[in-house]
Amino acid sequence: MEADNQNKEVIIEAKNLSVGFLVTKHGINNFKDFLLTMGIRKLFENKEVLNDFSLTIYKGECFGIMGRNGSGKSTFLRAISGIMKPNKGTLTVNGKVAPMMALGVGLEPELTGLENIKLLGTLMGLTQKEIKQSLQDIIAFSELSEYDINSQVKRYSQGMLARLAFSITVAKDPEILIVDEALTVGDLGFKQKCAQRIEEIRKNGSTIIYVSHHLEDIKSICKRACFIKDGKVLKVGSIEEISDLYELEMARKKN
Amino acid sequence: MWSLLTPLLYLAIFTFIFSKAFPDLENYPLYALTGLIFWNFYSNATTTAINSVINSRGVLKSLKVETIALPISEVVTSIINLLFSFIPFGILMVVFDASIGFETLFIFFAMLLFALFTLGIGLFVCAFNVYFRDVGLLYTSLTPALFYFTPIAYSTKLVPEQFQLLIKLNPLYHFMELFRTILYYNQIPDLYQWSLVICITAFFFGVGLLVFKKLEKGFISNY
Repeated sequence: MEADNQNKEVIIEAKNLSVGFLVTKHGINNFKDFLLTMGIRKLFENKEVLNDFSLTIYKGECFGIMGRNGSGKSTFLRAISGIMKPNKGTLTVNGKVAPMMALGVGLEPELTGLENIKLLGTLMGLTQKEIKQSLQDIIAFSELSEYDINSQVKRYSQGMLARLAFSITVAKDPEILIVDEALTVGDLGFKQKCAQRIEEIRKNGSTIIYVSHHLEDIKSICKRACFIKDGKVLKVGSIEEISDLYELEMARKKN
Repeated sequence: MWSLLTPLLYLAIFTFIFSKAFPDLENYPLYALTGLIFWNFYSNATTTAINSVINSRGVLKSLKVETIALPISEVVTSIINLLFSFIPFGILMVVFDASIGFETLFIFFAMLLFALFTLGIGLFVCAFNVYFRDVGLLYTSLTPALFYFTPIAYSTKLVPEQFQLLIKLNPLYHFMELFRTILYYNQIPDLYQWSLVICITAFFFGVGLLVFKKLEKGFISNY
């Protein structure tokens, strides 16, 4: 496996990465308390979520990330997207990142589906021309009817929201696609379609980072994966190894 | 559309109540209107800009977007609204016997300065509002006080001598004077007036931008 990787192009490389959040030191989260407790100097302190985190992801692979809630998965994805800056260590990302967002995020409820495609497309960094070109594809992929696409998004069901959001994200083959437990909604047919589209994107040379707690989902899509525990990479290996480890860790917690 | 209603209502109230109270102001409705239009812009722009980042936290958590674009876009929206509101207000001003001439064009430069000043205030409060959610509420509560502290409905000539300095500490006072010089007195502001307002704008915009950029790094922890 390791020998195999040496010929591949590195797309994401994290070396001894530390990424942290600010946490309130004395539980002061409003201005009133701040005024009342003048004299306490330091309001915030840094809490490292990722600590000494090293990971290499290669171009064109489908990489799974597993770990318990709060282990630092999302923080790592945010660091890749450039939303959070590392405090220590280096992170190289050689490509444009398209994140699959949590359900309904970025969609404006008062606007119609069509208007939201334009809005979210712009937020994702597509140009007006690209949006115009892929507009029909997006609508076709989402399978939303003419009537639905022209009605306000606040009248959509959860599944319809997921369809719309997913269709916009995968409209153009992104260089790096992040899928963060997004496929848990939507009917079976759409789920399969999503999986197919993800495979298609991978075949076109994109890299996919997949985060899920669904062992079956992750097994069917990814080949390589890592297990994150307490902000560190515990193990990198084939998907079988990692899912075994995941099950083991879950079982251990129960006892 | 409905945003025009607030200044119109205030205008009606002020005209009813204060017209007789300020005999030294001839054409009181025009005096009040020239202040109210810009106050309306200021209060709308700051209120929306302050909440812009918090309201989009979902997007900001998952997409790399220039955070500062959000408050800027709110101020730009308000500017566009202000420009459109000039059509009905312009007609109203003519009804109130305002004379429009070459000097009126200077209002656009004055508005540009005012927009930058407003953006500065918006950025400043917006950044703190991410850390402490009650800062926005505090600002909203203080806004009416600022309204009456600024000579919008009254003339500064009526303010007692000992409070004149206090009134002049209010940056909004200098903007109102600038707008009135152009629209009410139909004069081109002198160099002193321009440089004073440019200095105020540079200061508030600079501080706002600096504070926003400095605090921006910790936004993600406070969404």
